[in-house]
Amino acid sequence: MYDFRYHRPATISEAVDLFRQCDDGQYLAGGQTLIPVMKQRLASPSDLIDLARIDELKDISATESAITIGGMTTHAAIAASSEVRSRLAALADLASGIGDPHVRNRGTLGGSIANNDPTADYPAAIVALGATIITDRRRIEGDAFFTNIFETALEEGELIRAVEFPIPERAAYAKFPNPASRYAIAGVMVSKFADIVRVAVTGAGPFVFRVPDMEAALARDFSPEAIEKLQIPAGDLNADLHASPAYRAHLVSILAKRAVQAAKE
Amino acid sequence: MTTVEIGQALKRSEDFRLLTGKGKYVDDISLDGEARAVILRSPHAHARIVEIDRAAAAALDGVHLIVTGQDWLAEGFGPIPTRSAVNKNKDGSPLSEPPRHCLAIDRVRYVGEAVALIVADSEKIARDALELIDVTYEELPAVTDPRKALADGAPRIWDDIPNNLCVDFELGDEAATKAAFEAADHVISLDVENNRVTGVPIEPRGLVGTYDAETDTYLLYNSTQNVHAIRKTIAEDIFKISADKIHHIAPDVGGGFGAKNSVYPEPALVLYAAKQLQRPVKWIAERSESFLADTHGRNQSSKVQLALDSDGTFRALRTDTVGDIGAYCWTIGPFTPTGGSARTQGGPYAFETMYYSSRAVFTNTMPMDPYRGAGRPEGTYQIERIVEAAASQLGLDPVALRRKNLIPAEKLPMKSPMGLDIDSGNFPEVFERTLALSDRDGYSERVAASKAAGRARGFAIAPYLECTGGGPKEFAGIQFAADGTITLSVGSQGTGTGHETAMPQILSAKLGLPVEKIRYRQGDTDATPLGGGHGGSRCLEVGGGAVVRATEAVIDKAKAIAAHLLNSQADDISFADGQFSDAKTNQSTPMEEVVRASFETGRLPQDMEPGCLDSDAIFERGIISCPNGCHAAEVEVDPETGAVAVANYWIVDDFGTIINPLLADGQVMGGVAQGIGQALYEDAVYDEDTGQLLAGSLMDYALPRADLIPNMVIRYYEDAPTAKNPLGVKGAGEAGCCPAPPVIVNAILNALKPYGVTDLSMPVTSEKVWQAIHDAKP
Ligand SMILES: Cc1cc2nc3c(=O)[nH]c(=O)nc-3n(C[C@H](O)[C@H](O)[C@H](O)COP(=O)(O)OP(=O)(O)OC[C@H]3O[C@@H](n4cnc5c(N)ncnc54)[C@H](O)[C@@H]3O)c2cc1C
Repeated sequence: MYDFRYHRPATISEAVDLFRQCDDGQYLAGGQTLIPVMKQRLASPSDLIDLARIDELKDISATESAITIGGMTTHAAIAASSEVRSRLAALADLASGIGDPHVRNRGTLGGSIANNDPTADYPAAIVALGATIITDRRRIEGDAFFTNIFETALEEGELIRAVEFPIPERAAYAKFPNPASRYAIAGVMVSKFADIVRVAVTGAGPFVFRVPDMEAALARDFSPEAIEKLQIPAGDLNADLHASPAYRAHLVSILAKRAVQAAKE
Repeated sequence: MTTVEIGQALKRSEDFRLLTGKGKYVDDISLDGEARAVILRSPHAHARIVEIDRAAAAALDGVHLIVTGQDWLAEGFGPIPTRSAVNKNKDGSPLSEPPRHCLAIDRVRYVGEAVALIVADSEKIARDALELIDVTYEELPAVTDPRKALADGAPRIWDDIPNNLCVDFELGDEAATKAAFEAADHVISLDVENNRVTGVPIEPRGLVGTYDAETDTYLLYNSTQNVHAIRKTIAEDIFKISADKIHHIAPDVGGGFGAKNSVYPEPALVLYAAKQLQRPVKWIAERSESFLADTHGRNQSSKVQLALDSDGTFRALRTDTVGDIGAYCWTIGPFTPTGGSARTQGGPYAFETMYYSSRAVFTNTMPMDPYRGAGRPEGTYQIERIVEAAASQLGLDPVALRRKNLIPAEKLPMKSPMGLDIDSGNFPEVFERTLALSDRDGYSERVAASKAAGRARGFAIAPYLECTGGGPKEFAGIQFAADGTITLSVGSQGTGTGHETAMPQILSAKLGLPVEKIRYRQGDTDATPLGGGHGGSRCLEVGGGAVVRATEAVIDKAKAIAAHLLNSQADDISFADGQFSDAKTNQSTPMEEVVRASFETGRLPQDMEPGCLDSDAIFERGIISCPNGCHAAEVEVDPETGAVAVANYWIVDDFGTIINPLLADGQVMGGVAQGIGQALYEDAVYDEDTGQLLAGSLMDYALPRADLIPNMVIRYYEDAPTAKNPLGVKGAGEAGCCPAPPVIVNAILNALKPYGVTDLSMPVTSEKVWQAIHDAKP
């Protein structure tokens, strides 16, 4: 690890100001991605701005139609929240299936989506639920947030305050974990709202994507049988030690069916 | 608690210390004025070192030493020799052993090979310096697949070693085997792959070394499994000094699995630096460094052939193996795929004849050394896969086929066609007990339940034959102190395996002394004059044997004291249950009293001195023992995704006398977990084109986790203790990972039989299962 300066702001505006003043600053959330990358000397920020003491980033609040979760909320806190569990169980399930207990108790929602790892779980929830990312300066539609592998719509120094998740009629997440890292080899979130069905896939491609064919079929008939025959093309999917594109394409179909089945139950 | 028994489930006395963070591992040791060492490693699988420019690194503030291979050679240090017990080709010529120096001299031959040592005031400065060293490499063609390495025209890893062949080995009767194959009704053939894995001990390797100019001696703390043998090589072969110049200590060691049994370059480099700088030097491996530069294991490709008659009687077995050993011979690397895999060929089955041939081959990969089992798990996998294949191809019941061919109890003792002395055991009984344990009656119901949940269930059973290994000789010393404490020092060594509990338990049971008064010492060249360390499931067999012998020496002397105390003749004194008694006088006195008396001149016989009970003993085993047993498993396969889950696991093991069932269970479970790891998850795979290690971190190298390991039902068969050592023990440490891989793979094949799948290779990943189902579809 190279040397860096460490800051611990108490408010969002202080954090954003600090970022502006730094040479090459970076926000630090749970550190589950950033710290290992720094240890391997693959990242060398001049300054780390630790968000851990900013209490306003850790709230979970609910209205009738949405749950809003602060950017610094840990996966474990989301999994354990009775509000999330009772009204958006699919998200609580997703959070409880991330990594291992260490990772869940350190890693955060904001850190995960800012990083946009192609195999992370939350992007599937953000896109499938049509969530909105609330930053220090604006609101960003979930569909427009993830722009490429490890890239997002966030501007330089833009800080994720919270994510607002609309509450669907039904939703479920099905994941096939990588046996080593436990990130998703493929993960599919399916949601059904009064006016729309969304199917979002993570892990399989360079970044999260929707499957319009499946959405259309499920809008007509929200059942596993409705998408029985639908296969996504393997062409642009990820290839690594643990799964080929063809296998990932196959898994997406299976997981989508299982998510629909689970959402119905 | 006072005295304990052999066979008692005594809880591990070291656990409180280890589980509350009070263990003392190498990284917990920091000495005043310590400098930090890091190693610059090769980024290439094969390349010529054209130039090493260290000027910028050396100029960095706080950098004190940079050593390259050329510097090392200039010091006159010797190469590290291999100690492989197989050291000759089948034609009698010596194996090909290239020189292995602590640093690459003019060529690098695998990714991760040590190129330079850097020592600085801090680890950070040392890493900064490492980044500033500019090495010019000229890349050479590399080969990572041992079968390709053997081919004519393959890149040569060593210019003077044709076909990259280290040793060409054979064992058994080729002609008789050929004749038996010709006479047999059926010949079944199968290509069997044992995948490359690595030990991944939870504690990475680490070192702290110091040098004392006044006495010209070194002190080395090392996370190792073998202080004596490694010290000898470092001293005599590398530095060319006498071994007693190095005091070598292994503090708490967090796992080894064989990977800490090797003579690595880093200890000599650290000691050299300590002497050069006249200050302590510390080196701690990073996890990514462990993947690259800890020895790997397995990686054998074998053609296995079984000759049998129509009634299922086995006639002969023939195995031809290509075994990868990486770029060098390393410590005993060439032994594993040759002698190591040969000995238990054929498992516990009766064969008239067998023939094993094997070639150990160099590749541009991290060298191999023993990994838990070192050849025997590979052999078990070979025989169990071919037996299952025979049953499947000939339409025979795999259980009945195995039962029919097990060596009957009355045939023991016997010498196997591979020359192994099998003295004791009852393979059919162990097999039947395992079957009974595995609730075959409830199986069809479980199959139906799986099916209802959309999953395919499969069952397999795998009897196995193991043998121990490692150094045959061991030392134990018992010292008494006037305050009642007893120090037990043993030259075998635990690496988290519970020796601190087991060895005192033996002493306490034999002498009737309180176990909590016993201090245990191991892993220290000053504590024992000799020691064979940890490896080959040897510790209870030879270390425990030495403890017994030392207690016998204590009892002999104590009898004289007891006789004196009881006014009897020593010949009239007998010792049992911690009491010395004279049947004639009906008088007795406990061991503790005798120990107390041994410190009081007035209570001792004339010719005995205070402290006279201290006793040493060396036990040397004549022949290795043969642990054996039988495992059975059920798996569930999700045919849609290919995911496999191990649903049930049953074990009956014959380790002779069980000293402590809790400790034995721990060894069995750990071995099975590693076997499941090899079967389903682990694969230390190199990229064929670039020679880069692809699974080089825990994000890519999949270890089995607790939630993937099934509950294991474990029973012991204790009716056939061995007479080869005083405790009657057979060695439990490596057994678990012998039957686990084949029992898992065969159970998966059994589950997938309706899908037409007949072969799968380890690790059986979900994708492979899915692909196999996909490909088998008519
Ligand atoms: C072993 C392991 C297993 C894992 N398994 C999974 C898994 O199964 N599924 C999964 O989805 N994830 C997994 N993860 C990822 C983990 O859950 C974290 O979400 C992820 O590492 C990043 O979150 P963090 O809070 O640790 O962020 P950090 O590492 O602290 O930061 C990551 C990046 O986000 C930026 N950032 C952080 N917070 C904000 C903010 N509020 N606004 C703007 N930028 C911000 C940082 O500057 C940095 O660039 C795993 C990680 C590990 C180490």
